[in-house]
Amino acid sequence: MKREVMKAVAFGTVATIVVAFLIVAGSRNLAHFDAALVGYTFAVLFATFGIVYRYAMWLQRPPTALYWRRGWQMFLKRGHRRRNAAMWGVRMVKDVALNGFIRNRDLLRWAAHLLLMWGCILAFAITIPLVFGWLHFGTVTGRPGWYRAFLFGFPSFTFSTESAIGFIIFHGLVWASILVIGGVMLAVRRRVRDHGAAALERFGEDFLPLILLFGVSMTGLMLTVCYTWLDGYGYEFIAILHAITVIFTLLWLPFGKLFHVFQRMAQLGVSFYRDVGQREGLAPCRRCGVGYATSMHVADLIDVERTLGFDYAVADPRIGHYQHICPACRRKMLVLSQGRIWADERRGFDREGANRAGNLDTPN
Amino acid sequence: MGVPGNMEFFIDPSRCIGCQACVQACSECDTHKGHAMIHLEYIDRSLSTQTAPVVCMHCDIPTCAEVCPADAIKRTADGVVQSARKPRCIACSNCVMACPFGVPKMQVEMELMMKCDMCYDRTSAGLKPMCATVCPSQALFFGTREELAELRPRSRPANTFHFGNQTITTKVNMLVPKGGGAASVNVIDAFDEEPVGMSISIDPLLAGMYVEDQRNAS
Amino acid sequence: MATIPKRTSDVIDHFGPHVAYAHGKRLDAGAQAECLVKTHCCFCGQQCGIQLKVKDNTVIGFEPWTEFPFNRGKLCPKGVKRYLQGSHPDRLATALARSESAPGGFASIAYRDAISRVAAEIERIQSAHGNDAFAVLSGASLTTEKAYLMGKFAHMCLRTSNIDYNGRLCMVSAGAANKKAFGIDRAANPWEDIPRADVVWISGANIAECAPITTDYVWQARENGAQIIVVDPRVTPIARTCDLFLPVKPGRDIALFNGILHLMIENGWVDQLFVDRYTTGLDAVAEHVQQWTPKRTAEVTGIAETHIRRAAEIWGTARRSFLLHARGIEHHSHGVQNVLGAINIVLASGRIGRPGCGYATITGQANGQGGREHGQKCDQLPGGRDLGNPDHRAHVASVWGIEPESLPQPGVDAYEIFRKIERGEIRGLLSICFNPVVSLPDNNYVRRMLEKLEFYGAIDFFLNETARHANIVLPGSLHEEDEGTVTQAEGRVIKINKAVEPPGDARQDWRIIQDIAAALGRERGFTFTEPREIFDELRAASRGGVCDYYGITYEKIENRLGVFWPCPELEHEGTPRLFEPGSWNPIARGSGPFYFPDGRARFNVAAYSPPAEDVDEEYPIILTTGRVVSQFLSGTQTRRIGPLVDQYSEPRVEIHPTLAARLGIRDGAWTRVRSRRGECTLRAMVVNTIRPDTVFIPYHWPDARSANQLTIAAQDPISKIPEYKVCAVRLCPAESEPAYVREETKR
Repeated sequence: MKREVMKAVAFGTVATIVVAFLIVAGSRNLAHFDAALVGYTFAVLFATFGIVYRYAMWLQRPPTALYWRRGWQMFLKRGHRRRNAAMWGVRMVKDVALNGFIRNRDLLRWAAHLLLMWGCILAFAITIPLVFGWLHFGTVTGRPGWYRAFLFGFPSFTFSTESAIGFIIFHGLVWASILVIGGVMLAVRRRVRDHGAAALERFGEDFLPLILLFGVSMTGLMLTVCYTWLDGYGYEFIAILHAITVIFTLLWLPFGKLFHVFQRMAQLGVSFYRDVGQREGLAPCRRCGVGYATSMHVADLIDVERTLGFDYAVADPRIGHYQHICPACRRKMLVLSQGRIWADERRGFDREGANRAGNLDTPN
Repeated sequence: MGVPGNMEFFIDPSRCIGCQACVQACSECDTHKGHAMIHLEYIDRSLSTQTAPVVCMHCDIPTCAEVCPADAIKRTADGVVQSARKPRCIACSNCVMACPFGVPKMQVEMELMMKCDMCYDRTSAGLKPMCATVCPSQALFFGTREELAELRPRSRPANTFHFGNQTITTKVNMLVPKGGGAASVNVIDAFDEEPVGMSISIDPLLAGMYVEDQRNAS
Repeated sequence: MATIPKRTSDVIDHFGPHVAYAHGKRLDAGAQAECLVKTHCCFCGQQCGIQLKVKDNTVIGFEPWTEFPFNRGKLCPKGVKRYLQGSHPDRLATALARSESAPGGFASIAYRDAISRVAAEIERIQSAHGNDAFAVLSGASLTTEKAYLMGKFAHMCLRTSNIDYNGRLCMVSAGAANKKAFGIDRAANPWEDIPRADVVWISGANIAECAPITTDYVWQARENGAQIIVVDPRVTPIARTCDLFLPVKPGRDIALFNGILHLMIENGWVDQLFVDRYTTGLDAVAEHVQQWTPKRTAEVTGIAETHIRRAAEIWGTARRSFLLHARGIEHHSHGVQNVLGAINIVLASGRIGRPGCGYATITGQANGQGGREHGQKCDQLPGGRDLGNPDHRAHVASVWGIEPESLPQPGVDAYEIFRKIERGEIRGLLSICFNPVVSLPDNNYVRRMLEKLEFYGAIDFFLNETARHANIVLPGSLHEEDEGTVTQAEGRVIKINKAVEPPGDARQDWRIIQDIAAALGRERGFTFTEPREIFDELRAASRGGVCDYYGITYEKIENRLGVFWPCPELEHEGTPRLFEPGSWNPIARGSGPFYFPDGRARFNVAAYSPPAEDVDEEYPIILTTGRVVSQFLSGTQTRRIGPLVDQYSEPRVEIHPTLAARLGIRDGAWTRVRSRRGECTLRAMVVNTIRPDTVFIPYHWPDARSANQLTIAAQDPISKIPEYKVCAVRLCPAESEPAYVREETKR
C-alpha cells in the first residue's frame, strides 16, 4: 500500500471509530438506540470511513495539500485574524448558507440548489441524532400528550403533540422531503431542457444523485402517507424500500457528485489565501510589468507544478520561470511566436533571393 | 457522442483581423450562453492592429487540470478539456494562473472557472464550433486535415509548444509554414517580439516623405 | 417647422437609442426554436447567408448557414448580433405625431390618421407649389421590390422629379465610372475569382472592417501564392501583413493610378492585344499619364518612389489579378476620376472577363447593388434605364400603363434636395431608410434645412436622429419582417425571407407606401398584395435593360442559392462573370464583350485635381472618415445592439504619435477637432498605423460625437458623391471633458 493510501485508511478508521464511540456514548450505551435502525447505522459508519478516506486522499494531492496548509496558515496569520474571522462569518452566510455565488450563475439553478441543500441539511439534522440515539423523546409525567426532548440523554424542552410546534417537529422529515423534491424537479427540468447541459451531463455524475435524493424523499413521504391515512397498509414494504434508498445514498456519498458537499468548504480556505495574498502584494508580470497574481500564489504554483512533474523553468534570466508571465502576455507571446516563424520564413525567402515579384510563374 | 475523430481545430493567428465575430458568436454557444470564452486582444494597438485570438488548445496533459485542487477539470475521451465542473470548482484560480496558453477565465461573481470547451454541445453533435464557423478571416478553422491541405498549401499544422524546459502537446493545431524548419512553436522566443506588421513613420532622409516601415512584414 | 420639439435627452429617454442585450429566451440555453429561417444579414452589401432562430414571433438567435456559397456560415460581429435588433424596446409599434405636450415630443396616433395626414400634406404642398415641391429620400438597404416601388411612387404617384437615395453617399462614383468605362454598373466578377488571382490590389477598402467576409477570399488568394497590395492612408487590418503597402495621402489616388499606368506603358506591361481588340481611348490616356513619372507620383501621393515602382512591377507582370476598391477612392470630389484611374490600369492589363481576372467595387449597403438599379436614383428608371432617355421612358411607361409624358424629368441628388429646401423649392419631404442628420456631410446644415420644411414624414422602425425632426412617423418593417430580394456586392440576386410579423401597427414598408397612394386617391399601380407581385412587375420593367431581371424568379433564387443578373430569360442561368465571350449583352449584340454598341471598353483620361478643401496654415491636418467593424452606417440599428456598442462604444480620433507629440495630445486624452464647418471633441487614439498628416474619425454617431459636423459638402461633379474622405481640420488638446459627456454622466 502506498503511503498516502495508508494515511487515508488510518484517518478513515479513526473517524469511523470516533463516530461509533459517539453512537455508543450518545445513546447512553445503546439504551436509546433503536435496533430497527441498525442498517442505517452501519451505512453511516461505512460512509464516514469512505468520506474521510476520500477526503484524506484528496487533501494529499499536491495542489490540494498546498491550499489546505496555506488556507489555515492564512486564516491564522497574525495581523489578519480579526478580519479573517469577520470574513469567515460573512462567507458562511453569503456563500455557504445562501449560495450567493450560485445565484450569480443562474437563478433557477440557485433555487434548485437552495431547496436541495436545505432539505438535505434538515433531514440529516433530524435523522442522524435520532438514529444514533443522540436525540430521543420521552413522555412528561403527569402531562399526557406532552413530550420532552433529550439531547445526548440530557433533558431539554417540552412540547405538546397537539401544538403547532409538535406538529412541525414530528413532521420535520416531511418538510425536508418537500424541499428536496422541489429542488430535484427544478434540477431535472434544467437538465432535460438545457442544450448545453445535455451535451456535458453524464448519468452517474448528474442524474444518479437526483434519482437517489428523489427516491429517499418519496419513500419517506410515502411512510408518512401510509401511517397517517392508510392505517399503516404496506408500511413494512415501504420502510424497507426507504431503508434501501437511504443506505444506497449513504454508501454512494463518498464516490459521486454529493461528495462536493465536503470539498466545497475548501472555498473558504481559498478566499483567505486570496485575501491575505492580495494584502501582501501582487507579482508583476515579467513581460508587461503589470501585477497579475499574488506573489504567494505564483511561488506556490511553481512548487506545485514541480511536484506534479511540470518544468516551466526558462533559461532566460529575465523570465526565470514561465509562471512569471501573466496570462495575457502568454496569449500574446503564443501569437507572436507564430508570427515570428512566418516572418523568419519570409526572410528566408528573401535571403535565397526568391524575389516574389519575379517569381510569378512558379506554380501555386 | 463525441467530437468526430477526423474533425480538428486549426488556428492561424496571422490571418486574424480582430473583428471579434468569434467573441460575439462564442457567447451564443449553449454550454456557456452569455459568456464569451475565446480571448481576442490587441498585441499593442499603438504599434499595430495585430490581434491575438486564443482558444483553448486542449492539451494532452492539461496543466490546468493537474493543478486543480478540487479535481474539477476533466478531459473527455475525445480529448476535449472541459470547463470546471460547477459543483467542484472552488474558484482558486490555479488553472487560470497555470495554463501556459492563458486560457481559463475566472468568473469572479460566480466563483467559477469557465473556459473554451470547443463548443462541446455543437462539436459532439457534428457541428462546428461557433467561433470557427463564423470567423471571417478563417484564422480559426475547423475541419479535416484533407480540407486543410487543400485550402492552405503553404501551411502545416503544429501541435507541440515549448515553454522553457516544458513541452506541451495539444489537440488544437497551430499553422506554421510548410517548408520552414520549425515543427514546433517555441513560445519563449517571442518574449522580445514586437507586433508583426506595418506601421507608418517619417523617413528623415526623404525630407518628410511618409514611408511604411515593413519591419517584420516582408 | 420641423424642429426637434424637446431636448434631445427627452427624445432619447423615450425613443432611444437604448442598448439591448440577450435576456429571457434569448439567453436560455434550453429555448427550443420553432423554426430556422434561411435569410441574409440586414447589414452590408455582402449579404451573408444566415439562419434566424424563431420562437413566439421573436428572433431568439441565429445558426450559421454553411451551405450559402458566398459566406459558408461566416459572419462578422454585426451579423452575429443582428438578431438583437428585433423585439427591441425602442421599436416603433405605432404611428407618431409631433406633440409638444407628449413625453419625448411625439404622441401615438392611429395608423389611418397618420396616413391621412401625410396624404393631406402631400396634396396641399403639391397643389400650392407644384409636384416637385415634395421630395422623397429613399435608401439602399431596402429590398429591390421596395426600392422599385419607391421610384414608381415618386415618379408615377407623386409625379415629382425629386427622389434620391442614400446610395448617393455610397456607390455612385463607382457606378458612374463603371458605366463610363464598361457601359454597365456591376461587379465584373464573382468573389470566387479572387483566390485565383496572382495579385490582389486593394485600393481604399478597409475590407477587414467594412466587408469582413471578403477577408477570407483575399487570404485564400495569398495562400495560393498571390501578392496583396493595399493602398490606404491607414494600416488597416488587411494591410497589416500585405506584401506591399502604399500609404497614399488622402485624395491622391488618381495620381497613383496614373503613375502605375505610366510605368506599365514605359515597361511594356500593357496587354496590347486586348487593348486593340476590346478597348478604345488608350492613346489619349497614355499621353495624359506621361507627366505622371514615378518622381511626380511620389511627390503627390506621399508614397516612396521605390514602392510605386514595385507596385507597378507586381501589377504589370501578373498573369491573373483582381482589383478591389471601395469608398476610400470613391468618397471624393473627384471620386469618379479615381475609379476611372483604377479601371484604366485594369483595362491596360487586359485582365478582366476571365477566371481569376477581375475587378469590382465592394458595394457598401445591404442592397447597394439592387437599390441602385431600379429607379430610386434621381435620374433613373427600372432596369438601369435613364429617366432622360425617350425610349427608356416609353418602355417603363408602357409597363406602368401611363403616358411617357406624365413621367417627370430627372431630379437632383440627395444633397441638392437640401439645397432646394434652402431655396424654398422643396417644402415637403418623405423619407425612408435614410438618416441624413448622421450620414450627410456638414450635417449642421442638413439639420437646419430639415427645420425649414413645412412637412416632414418619416418611415422607420426606430426613431432615428433624422426622424426626430418629423411631423409624422410611420412605423415600418425590420428586415426580418418582410420578404423580397436584394442584389449583393457580386451582382447575385438573393432572397430575404420573413421570420416574424411586425409588432403592433407597424407594417411592411411597401404597404405603407401603397396606403399613402390610396389616401391620395391614386392607388392605380399600387395595389400589390405581396412582394412577389412587385418583383414580377419589376422583372417586366427591367426586361431588355442592362440590369435585366426578367429570367429571375423567387423559386430560381432559392433553388440555386442566388442568381446573377443579367438574366434575360427564364432558361438563362444568370451571369456570374461579366464580359466573357458570348455572354448576353443587349447593347453590343455580339460586337464585343462590353456594354457599348461597339462592344469596346472605354479608357478615360482621369485628370488629377486636389481635394476640394486642401490643408493650409489655418487647418493643417487632413481628416478622413470611415467605419469600424462593429457599427454600420448611421448606427440606427447597431447603436441599439448592446454587444456591438460595447465593442467600440464611442468614436475616437486616430492620430499618429509624431503628430500627437507635436500637438501635445496623449493617448486617450480629449481632443478638439475643428473644421470650417464645425467642431467635435473626442478621445484620441494614438497609433502609428495612420499617416502623420492625417487623422481618422469613424462617422456612425450623431450629435456632438458626429464626424460629419466637420466634413465638407463638396461633391463629385458627375456622381454627386460627397467628399467624406478629405477635409482640412486643426486639432488641439481639449481643456476638459466635453459638455456632452458631463451631461450624460449627470443623467
